Amino acid sequence: MTIQSGTPEAPLAPLGDTSSGVGSPMLVDQRSLAPRRDQSNELVRSVGPVVRVAYGWISKHFAAVLLGMILVAIIATFKQGGLDLMGQQLRNALVLGAIYALVAIGYTMVYGIIELINFAHGDVFAAAGFYAVFIASTFHLDSLATGSFGGLILALIIVFPLSMLGAGITGVVIEFVAYRRLRDSPRLAPLITAIGVSFLIEGIMLVIEGPDNVATNQADWITGTAFTIGGVSVAWTDIFVVGMALFLMFALGEFVRRTRLGKAMRSTAQDRTAALLCGININRTISATFFIGSALAAAAAVIYSINYGDLKWNLGFHLGIIAFTAAVLGGIGNIVGAGVGGFIIGLIYVFGGSIFGGEWSESLIFAVLVLILTFRPVGLFGVEVTTRA
Amino acid sequence: MLERFLSLFRIDTGKRERNQGTTVFWIIAGTASALLLMGWLLPWFVNDYSAGVGYSAQDALVSSPTGIGTFCIYIMAVAMIMLVVSPIAEAIARARGRAFGKRADRIRFIAALVGLALTAVVWFLVSVIQEEPLFGSFTAGTYTDSAVWLTMYGFAMAALAYGARDWVVARQSVAFGVAALPFGIFLPLMFHQAPDFLLWAAGSLAIYMLLALGLNVVVGFAGLLDLGYAAFFAIGGYACASFASPIHNIHLPLWVLIFLGAAVASMFGAVLGAPTLRLRGDYLAIVTLGFGEIIPDLATNNVFNLTGGANGISGIDQPHYGALDFSTSPRWYYWSLLIVSILVIIFLRNIERSRVGRAWVALREDEVAAAATGINTTTTKLLAFAIGASVSGLAGAFYGSIVSIVSPDDFSFSVSIAVLSIVVLGGIGNIVGVILGSFILTFVIFWVLPNMNEWTTTLSTTVHVPALAGIDFSSYTFIIYGLALIAMMLLRPGGLLPSRARRIELESGEESESLAAVQGVA
Repeated sequence: MTIQSGTPEAPLAPLGDTSSGVGSPMLVDQRSLAPRRDQSNELVRSVGPVVRVAYGWISKHFAAVLLGMILVAIIATFKQGGLDLMGQQLRNALVLGAIYALVAIGYTMVYGIIELINFAHGDVFAAAGFYAVFIASTFHLDSLATGSFGGLILALIIVFPLSMLGAGITGVVIEFVAYRRLRDSPRLAPLITAIGVSFLIEGIMLVIEGPDNVATNQADWITGTAFTIGGVSVAWTDIFVVGMALFLMFALGEFVRRTRLGKAMRSTAQDRTAALLCGININRTISATFFIGSALAAAAAVIYSINYGDLKWNLGFHLGIIAFTAAVLGGIGNIVGAGVGGFIIGLIYVFGGSIFGGEWSESLIFAVLVLILTFRPVGLFGVEVTTRA
Repeated sequence: MLERFLSLFRIDTGKRERNQGTTVFWIIAGTASALLLMGWLLPWFVNDYSAGVGYSAQDALVSSPTGIGTFCIYIMAVAMIMLVVSPIAEAIARARGRAFGKRADRIRFIAALVGLALTAVVWFLVSVIQEEPLFGSFTAGTYTDSAVWLTMYGFAMAALAYGARDWVVARQSVAFGVAALPFGIFLPLMFHQAPDFLLWAAGSLAIYMLLALGLNVVVGFAGLLDLGYAAFFAIGGYACASFASPIHNIHLPLWVLIFLGAAVASMFGAVLGAPTLRLRGDYLAIVTLGFGEIIPDLATNNVFNLTGGANGISGIDQPHYGALDFSTSPRWYYWSLLIVSILVIIFLRNIERSRVGRAWVALREDEVAAAATGINTTTTKLLAFAIGASVSGLAGAFYGSIVSIVSPDDFSFSVSIAVLSIVVLGGIGNIVGVILGSFILTFVIFWVLPNMNEWTTTLSTTVHVPALAGIDFSSYTFIIYGLALIAMMLLRPGGLLPSRARRIELESGEESESLAAVQGVA
């Protein structure tokens, strides 16, 4: 079902894109993200016409430029270590990208509906990881999961919904306590509160879990190699991670597209006042958004701890920024975009790391974020996408 | 050009519209009570330093019932109790809607003056003419004057609060300056026996005050959220470390490095701001956040072999000007920082009231309207960014010189958040509020929490609760920042001392303000 946005053509169209006649298809109104034409022109003009042409070209073909760079990185990796290394890195990138994608969806949904960068989202992710560890130890799931295949399925069926429920409730509580009252206040206030919530959660995790890495037993849950292609062994974990992420994203997409609540979320994101006038319960819709976003982060956290086997109190901070970059890359407010953005960021992280060295991966991601915001703040799918996520 | 720049440091003495608010009054009265209590309980006279056996005024009262000194201490005790208890009584009375009359103020004013005079008398008797056997045997002991200083300062502040209440209420900022500045100037003398405390005052309080003043330009004046402020601090620190240490064998004097750090940092501020300032505020926040992560990353990865990697750069020069040897005591750093801070405060206050400052306010309130009135939004924002960054770079250069080693860990995200918390706690956009905020937060985070571990370990052995010793209080830092940010935003969005514009907005209950904002004042 496609609902055309009722907003008129954006008066402040993104630079270098004069053909933004298509109605804004995302959860968020893209106008607000576009650079002001007058100022950017002025800034660019002062540097010179060559730069202006280059700027326009890059921002128009940003996706091609980015994907070209990734391709170059992949080829460089191939030259470096042959097909084996390239295949392994591709596998790593997919696994990492799946986690980023799930977390990015939470950012994008919240931003889409209340235009807030929910800094606490990454920390909800980390907290959910600890919830899962707690649940696993309470129900003695570790021995169950490693015992037999049926036991594993049972353990997954217990741990996923429970930690998603826990994280969802955490998200709803955060929204209710910290953000709801600031919904109509100046922009700075909820942003600062979000930072505060993020630090509060990190602080609580630091006090409870200590400053070091916490090893979880969930790394032993799924073991074994599924198959080997040309020297690249694909573990069952990898298949599980990517499959689970794709399944959840598909389920979310169907939910947003087909249910009444999904429709309410889309309309609230489009115009809160109008949605209110149509009889939509705004508060409940926003709470639901936080619940779903946090629950997906929790699923990502469980996947993370099954795959990597350790958690840390400040894990969510960096992962959160990287996932946010993924959300911006896909066009913030756009759920499909966030999913795709997550995988692209995973590619950049892994292949950038294999070229420049792993210690540069995070800096590289931040650099990419700056590049996106400079050249294409509406994201890769900012204008072209016509179907709603 | 230079003349115009120098004019920014001119002190404006013209009368302005008056602030009306009792926050500063309560801060002064409360601080007076706290100082009096501290002065009363801390040792005035230490018999054995290693064992920490000392006599406080309280002990003297109990142990030695003869002589004029004891008599003085009796009266001091009465005055002190009156000044400590009465603000609480007054607060309760006012909360219940009862008046607390002028006469009570007059009595308390006289009590404060009498207490001040008697403290001086006791000091004179004990230390100068060594007459009174107040504190046991003289021969074995060492005189400590911190407690005496604190007592006298407490009485003086009480005298200011109760003797000139109307003036304090009417001229909040000036009154705060009058109360705080002498304390700032004399602090190294008051605490000369506690070098750790001096190091805190120079390395934490003064540095963070400068940082907060700089961030206040960006967040408070121009309304742009900068979450990577520590990056500019790092740039200043590393500029200092690179040009005044054996690593590249360059040794520039500190005063050159201050300007260098400020210049480099402001350049980075402008470069970083340029691509992002045309986006909305929250994008700026995330980009600065990323930048704040990249800079320590660069330093950790030892980019171009400039930064010394994860271990950082050590052996930074300590200035040495003739008799002024900065390496001997933190007090020289402290006083230089005090002078620099005062200059920065005057500069920022003037720039806030200048054309640029008004442009910032206009931008903050409504960007479209500001642009329509002919304000060049990009350059105005860039200017705020550059000025804020330069103050940070300056502080970074000082910091590097004080601690003599810079490493990437010193400039982590929590530094940015600490500075943001200070600004939010004190009062966004209000210089006096920011100063107050830096006092409170640096005292709690960098003095109380690190010492808390030791205090509770002692306490746990005294009261036999071993669980107390196991708590690591420094890990509560993050919770404190988080709570401070959330609580201030929800309950009192203007901060402890809201800026004048903010207060007017709050009082008139403007629609743009949240319900919570209005409730926070009511």
